[in-house]
Amino acid sequence: MSVNSYNLFQTAQSQFDKAADLLELNSATREFLRNPMREFHFTIPIHMDNGEMKVFRAFRIQHNDARGPVEGGVRFHPMETVDTVRASAMWMTWKTAVVGVPLGGGNGGVICDPHNLSDFEQEQICRGWVRQLVKNIGPNSDISAPDIMTNSQHMLWMLDEYETILGARYPGAFTGKPIEMGGSQGRIQATGYGIMIAVREALKELNIKINGTTASFQGFGKVSYYAIELYQKMGGKVICVSTWDNNENRSFSFRKKDGINLEDLREITNIYGGINKDKAEDIGYEVLSGDAWLEQEVDILVPAAIENQITDNNTDKINKCVKIIAEGANGPTSSKADAILNKSSIFIIPDFLANAGGVICSYFEQVQNNMNYYWDKDEVLAKLDVKMATAYADVSDFSRENKLGMRDSAYVIAVDKVAQACHSRGWV
Amino acid sequence: MENNTGQHNIINELKERAKELNCLYRTQELLWDKEKTSDEILQALVEVIPQGWQYPDICFARIICQDTIYQLPEFTETKWVLSSDIISQGNIYGSLQVFYVSESPECDNGPFLKEEEKLIKTISELIGGYFFHNQLKSVFEASKKKDSKKEWVVIIDMLKKTDPKLLMRISRKMVNFLCWKGISEGEKLFDFFNPTNGKESVFNKEVNSPFHAKTESDSYLISNKIFEIASKYLNEKEIIDSISRWIKQDQSGFLVNILSKSPITLNEISKALERYYHFKSQGLVLTPIREKSLRINLIRHILNDDNNFIKIAKNFVSVDDFKDLIDKIIYPVDSKGKLGGKSSGLFLADKILQNSRLSDDLSKQYKIPKTWYISSDGLLNFMNYNNLEDIIDQKYKAIEQIRKEYPYVSHVFKNSLFPSEIMKALSEMLDDFGGNPLIVRSTSVLEDRQNTIFAGKYKSLFISNQGTKMERLAELTDAIAEVYSSTFGPDPIEYRAERDLLDFDEEMAIMIQEVVGKKVGKYFFPAFAGVAFSRNNFRWSSRIKQEDGLLRLVPGLGSRAVDRLSDDYPVLISPGQPKLRTNVTLDEIIRYSPKNIDVINIEERSFETIEIAQLLKEYGKDYPIVNQIVSKISGDCVKPVQRLGMKPNEDNYIVTFTGLVNNSTFIEKINSIVSVLEKELSYPIDIEFAHDGDNLYILQCRPQSYSKLGKPSVIPSNIPKDKLIFSANRFISNGCISNITHVVYVDPIKYAEITDYDKLAAVARAVGRLNELLPKRQFFLMGPGRWGSRGDIKLGVNVTYSEINNSALLVEIARKHNNYVPELSFGTHFFQDLVESGILYLPLYPDDDGCEFDESFFLNSPNILSNLLPDLEYLSSVVKVIDVIAVTKGNVLNVLMNSDDNKAVAIISEKDVRIEHIDSVKYNTETSKSSDFHWQWRLRSVEQIAARINPEYFGVKNFFIFGSTKNATAGPCSDIDILIHFIGTSKQKEILNEWLKGWSDSLDYYNFLKTGCKTGGILDIHYVTDEDIKNRTSFAVKIGAITDAARVLRIGTDLN
Repeated sequence: MSVNSYNLFQTAQSQFDKAADLLELNSATREFLRNPMREFHFTIPIHMDNGEMKVFRAFRIQHNDARGPVEGGVRFHPMETVDTVRASAMWMTWKTAVVGVPLGGGNGGVICDPHNLSDFEQEQICRGWVRQLVKNIGPNSDISAPDIMTNSQHMLWMLDEYETILGARYPGAFTGKPIEMGGSQGRIQATGYGIMIAVREALKELNIKINGTTASFQGFGKVSYYAIELYQKMGGKVICVSTWDNNENRSFSFRKKDGINLEDLREITNIYGGINKDKAEDIGYEVLSGDAWLEQEVDILVPAAIENQITDNNTDKINKCVKIIAEGANGPTSSKADAILNKSSIFIIPDFLANAGGVICSYFEQVQNNMNYYWDKDEVLAKLDVKMATAYADVSDFSRENKLGMRDSAYVIAVDKVAQACHSRGWV
Repeated sequence: MENNTGQHNIINELKERAKELNCLYRTQELLWDKEKTSDEILQALVEVIPQGWQYPDICFARIICQDTIYQLPEFTETKWVLSSDIISQGNIYGSLQVFYVSESPECDNGPFLKEEEKLIKTISELIGGYFFHNQLKSVFEASKKKDSKKEWVVIIDMLKKTDPKLLMRISRKMVNFLCWKGISEGEKLFDFFNPTNGKESVFNKEVNSPFHAKTESDSYLISNKIFEIASKYLNEKEIIDSISRWIKQDQSGFLVNILSKSPITLNEISKALERYYHFKSQGLVLTPIREKSLRINLIRHILNDDNNFIKIAKNFVSVDDFKDLIDKIIYPVDSKGKLGGKSSGLFLADKILQNSRLSDDLSKQYKIPKTWYISSDGLLNFMNYNNLEDIIDQKYKAIEQIRKEYPYVSHVFKNSLFPSEIMKALSEMLDDFGGNPLIVRSTSVLEDRQNTIFAGKYKSLFISNQGTKMERLAELTDAIAEVYSSTFGPDPIEYRAERDLLDFDEEMAIMIQEVVGKKVGKYFFPAFAGVAFSRNNFRWSSRIKQEDGLLRLVPGLGSRAVDRLSDDYPVLISPGQPKLRTNVTLDEIIRYSPKNIDVINIEERSFETIEIAQLLKEYGKDYPIVNQIVSKISGDCVKPVQRLGMKPNEDNYIVTFTGLVNNSTFIEKINSIVSVLEKELSYPIDIEFAHDGDNLYILQCRPQSYSKLGKPSVIPSNIPKDKLIFSANRFISNGCISNITHVVYVDPIKYAEITDYDKLAAVARAVGRLNELLPKRQFFLMGPGRWGSRGDIKLGVNVTYSEINNSALLVEIARKHNNYVPELSFGTHFFQDLVESGILYLPLYPDDDGCEFDESFFLNSPNILSNLLPDLEYLSSVVKVIDVIAVTKGNVLNVLMNSDDNKAVAIISEKDVRIEHIDSVKYNTETSKSSDFHWQWRLRSVEQIAARINPEYFGVKNFFIFGSTKNATAGPCSDIDILIHFIGTSKQKEILNEWLKGWSDSLDYYNFLKTGCKTGGILDIHYVTDEDIKNRTSFAVKIGAITDAARVLRIGTDLN
């Protein structure tokens, strides 16, 4: 690839530079945090099903472990590059820091296309991954989690290989496991609940009673579903959700002005995440165009589907009543739209913070694994509430005190925490 | 209540069978009674025989034998009679008759049961055998008296008395045999068999008098002489062996005689075969050569007279195989019909799998569902019977008239009657089938005659086969009539017209098959079904080879696997590489899993499509082999299921067939079946199959058809260099796209140089907007790396399927970079969408040896992006839109792809050039129908509409046409794009809309009559205002546009 090409790592570095400038970090700290602490580049030879031998290239990047063992995904992708993995590792460092869990940031990947591999071959790659890294990963040094084209099955293969080599059980070395294999209760709710805990805190600051507020959601997957569940429990009213319709290859919004009924909608939602239009009309929902969710007269917008949904083309369609946008998805607001919204009165809870419930729960999973004692769902969710609320308050206080946007504040706090830890350890 | 009646029926039936058996035993007892004379025996028989009949009290038997009549004193002759000849050694000795003296309820044949017909036949055979035995006894007794005689002399004597004609034939064979042995005495005997009596020169002379016929005594003398000579040179054993061999051979002579007759009726064949099997059971053995000749004749008369078919079939089919087949063919009296392509294809496939030496135990791996046939002339017979001959001429009418009249034809057929002998046979057939649902399929004789595949052109209908016998029969005949009427439907007639097959009478046979499946709740369906192709032309991984094959699997009835689905997906598996699945991530697996299932609703007696999720909720645990069909969604992945552990109401299950791939031998089985068939038939094949949970059933086998899933194009050999835009030679599928007017080219180098995420994302959105703007299926997309990549955006343009769904082809370019060639996606991100919607995919490796890539065409052609989308001018260096017609001065691009040759080319060509592609593996070519027709009438109609627009009344300033009609590229389903420059009020707009809707609907109907396409209103109307035109917003860009500019039509020229 050309030197000038778009490079995720460079993007991540320039974001860091911006925060470092604000924090006036010294050059050594900058140099230290701009790059990963450790990188492993290795190969995984495996026997393919047809007896042929094939060698796969792989990386594990440990960006920073000043605040605790690194944690991060392992992805399988045919065009994976080390820079993409470096960028993800760095972002993980900031993400764990901003929500205040004692973990660092890492990420890894194997250059392979699962579409070209049988399950057994993928299992061999997972086991090969562990064999190469066994000395450098573990519950106290580096924890792996599912990422692009990997899932809990891959984690279990890796865990099994790890435990087989070491001759003991270390469930905390890999997260994202199914509950019966050491996963945490409440994981499925964590991201959605986390968003609405942040929204609740934001409303408190805005002096608005959550009772009587209204919201509109983009997406009706797991994240939205549980966010709506918590929001309704807290007294809010959701009047619109939009979903993608696989048959028509476009999205639709479903509106009920006196509030949607989550169970009714769930009844008519297929496992593919689409709401049945006809049945929705039958039970009193208005079926509107896909982007109508954005135009509703509500207090809160929650884009929880895919990236780049709020752009400079549609910011003008956002209703004047909207007070909060809580970014449930990753990067739902384009940078141009972000600039426009920053000038408006709308308060943005950045993705970084809003959807951190997942990371927190992943941390809870390790904690429970490591002490081999498991909490029930309510306990997990209560602890999540405390963590989210605290993280939110930190960012929001900082934003207010320093007259900095929420997104920048979150970034700056994160970098600051990591820099402090490095400093305390006498590294820089 | 109903149960009791059912039980009662069964008991009655069993009682009847017991009576019949009893009657047979008593008959045999009598015939073997050595104490009684034959008169006594026959007289006793007329008392015994009536006991075997349903109403013995009113039943009388009579035996007439060589002028003697045996009957009871109270015997009376009536019209209710069943009769059978008593035959011994081919001679009729008399007859056996059974009478009812008074009327009794109507059964299979008048008042008689079909079992009783068999019974009377068996008894008369027994009596015949008795006479033969008596004759032999007398001969042997005579020979005992003169014990000096040799054994062969006894046989000759016996033959003289019993079958003199046979004796002559055997004598003749002995002469031949002697000559072979070089015995000169024998050669002289030839003269006797020569009608000219050895006067060699007689043929050279004019002879006016008839030859002298030989008398019987001459014959006896000569045969004595022959065998005397034989006894001189041959030992006794040799003579006896030869005689007995010849006698056996002679018994099958009638078969040869009949089958070499032409034309021959199915009835004659059936009778002859029946006799053959009878003799066979008595020890008849055919010589290999005779067996072969019989086999070939039977194949020719019953299955298919195509030489290629016979050449293969004769190696696998034996005479015995026809035994069961012939009993299951329903045919009109004097029928000379055949079974049709589908039936004979399946029959042959079955025999190949049973007898192939390529694999040992395939015959145990599958079953063929019970099948009956109606011979191909059943259709004409049905039409003659109902005086429907006129409908035959239907095919010569204009296609729109055919389409209009087709519902009427169908109605008339369904209200017509079947001839009584067919009805009777159908009724017997239903008894044989029992109560399982059936499928009535057409099987056209034209399919084999002309090497054409009528895939999906004729109807196949499922029937529930439930209810009373009368209801079942009515449902069945209704379905047959409907399938018959589909012969006169517009689609097959158009198809035949295109192939010059119109003048042939359509001989359509019918195949009635038991539907494979199980009853689950109120539904009946197979666990799964599908189509297996021996060649895989849709590869989703570079590791899959063409010969790894392809399976399209669906839960339930296979109807969903055969055709492309617009709203659902079959599961695709490559049996050679079953572990390389098309879908890997949970999202993909869920999105592309089958959502619906076709079933037969037993209660409603209907064919239905229902949601699989609902079915699993209701009957999840009862679904046959559910653990091999579905997986459970569990967290972020799918898990195998155990039937007992299923919680249909709590958990989500989706169809993945993972269990089938991992924990069953199915894939292995189907793979070996398909590869054996391909090897033995020596062409690629596809088979349809279904699995009821216990067994795999093969339903159809035919040459791999490309009709639905892309045909290979013929790649021209010498393309001028200046016409060739690119060529490719890796992982090519089949297909052809023609008349391409635009190419959207995302420059791989420029794309890689973009450093800003928003700009990368903007490229994808630009492609999406072009997808809306460019003429559907007349443009294609080319770009770097992986289209639709969901990971790192720079690896490929991250479009969604809806942003490319109008493209004709997707090209992924892999440019070499520092000795590293990036891996392409093979369209995996929306692979199944591409397959089902027929969008082609092509990976392009421009830096490979032997690949051409005319980069200058892409770099130097003018870019019209900014004309189309002025706001995206900043992407012009990355996204190039090439107007092929403008660049090539009126030409278009054609992309031809051939999987078998692994080659694809994009060439500049004149518009509507004839493209050769391969219709089926039997390689005949088809020319594409001129597309002029479609745009011409559209344009003429729109001109008429424009002429009738009153500009003041409607508030219309200008009226434009654009798109495919204007570009002369409209296809049968194209709409007509109209642009109206509107300056009126909203009221006027309402009126105008109403007025245009009338036009739109009526033109749509006209188009439907012509082509069968319904668009639901053919006019696609876009309005622009003064403001739009000023700002060049909305469709106003079309006015004066560089590409596909709207053309103004004159309005208001014909206002009356």
